[in-house]
Amino acid sequence: MIDPDENKHAASDDPLAADAARRFDESVQRLDAATLSRLNRSRQAALTELAGRTAVRRWHRWIPAAAVATAAAFTVLMLNDPSVIDAIPSYDAAADFEVIMAGENLEMLEELEFYRWLYADAETEIAPAPDDHVG
Amino acid sequence: MPRSSGPGAAIACRADFAVLCRRSHHTGDAALQRERELDRFLSDVEKRALRIAEISVRDRDEALDLVQEAMIKLVRRYAQRSAEEWPPLFYRILQNGVRDWHRRRFVRNRVIAWFGSATDDDVARDIDVIAAAADPAGRAPDQELETQQAMQSLEVALAHLPTRQREAFMLRTFEGLDVADTAKAMGCTAGSVKTHYSRAVHSLRETLGEHWQ
Repeated sequence: MIDPDENKHAASDDPLAADAARRFDESVQRLDAATLSRLNRSRQAALTELAGRTAVRRWHRWIPAAAVATAAAFTVLMLNDPSVIDAIPSYDAAADFEVIMAGENLEMLEELEFYRWLYADAETEIAPAPDDHVG
Repeated sequence: MPRSSGPGAAIACRADFAVLCRRSHHTGDAALQRERELDRFLSDVEKRALRIAEISVRDRDEALDLVQEAMIKLVRRYAQRSAEEWPPLFYRILQNGVRDWHRRRFVRNRVIAWFGSATDDDVARDIDVIAAAADPAGRAPDQELETQQAMQSLEVALAHLPTRQREAFMLRTFEGLDVADTAKAMGCTAGSVKTHYSRAVHSLRETLGEHWQ
């Protein structure tokens, strides 16, 4: 079992230790400005790391709150106006699948310019030429 | 338990949201408070830690790197621990860093010795213990010189101690940790700390002699 009082004063009771501690403190006081500045920068770098981790953790804490808020807003909206559900457009995946599987439609899109020219050409043929009325 | 639908459910949802918001606000304050405590602790300890590391590795730049590394590791791993636990944890990280540094240096020196390319600069850097520094207290040059010489003698004597004895002496005497915290910092029992410390004092008294009597 360790006696706390004995622990605290054991080092300073010895004259050599007390003298060493005094000289050590003096050497600490003599640290130059450049060294102190570097120490300060080191400390700030360490604390920046803590701030970064805290910010990420703080952001993560808002996720459940945001989820609850969204769910609450949706619930309130549904309770007040059930027609909201009907207003949500249904997604018909089968129709999109049919469009994709219809190869000719895609081919038509690829040659759109050709079909446009063909259509314009057909209109020109159908329309009566001005020369037909002459004579 | 399923909640009833209708306005009651909406009120319950809003109450949950308010509780979560309040909790987030409190945790933000706690984080700020913790950052302030860490800042205070690190600024209290950094100068002595630097000198302790400097005496151990006998190079200020290396000591600065070791202290920075110890600060970052403490913040990363132990920021959430209670402030009372920080001193032994910080010094444990620092002492481990110093030991790793000595191991790396030992390997490097062996490699250099193998290739026979040790330079005079390397040797000179080992001998140069205290960097020249202005005296903020404005003491007379002879007094300043006497203080520096005395400290240099102590540093040389400490450098010749076995690692564990040096650690025990510096943590107890320079940092003022008690036996229990020194044991935590050194990763050994309280009895070992007492033994190392006692032997360190005995060796230092023999080495320094009348200079320190």
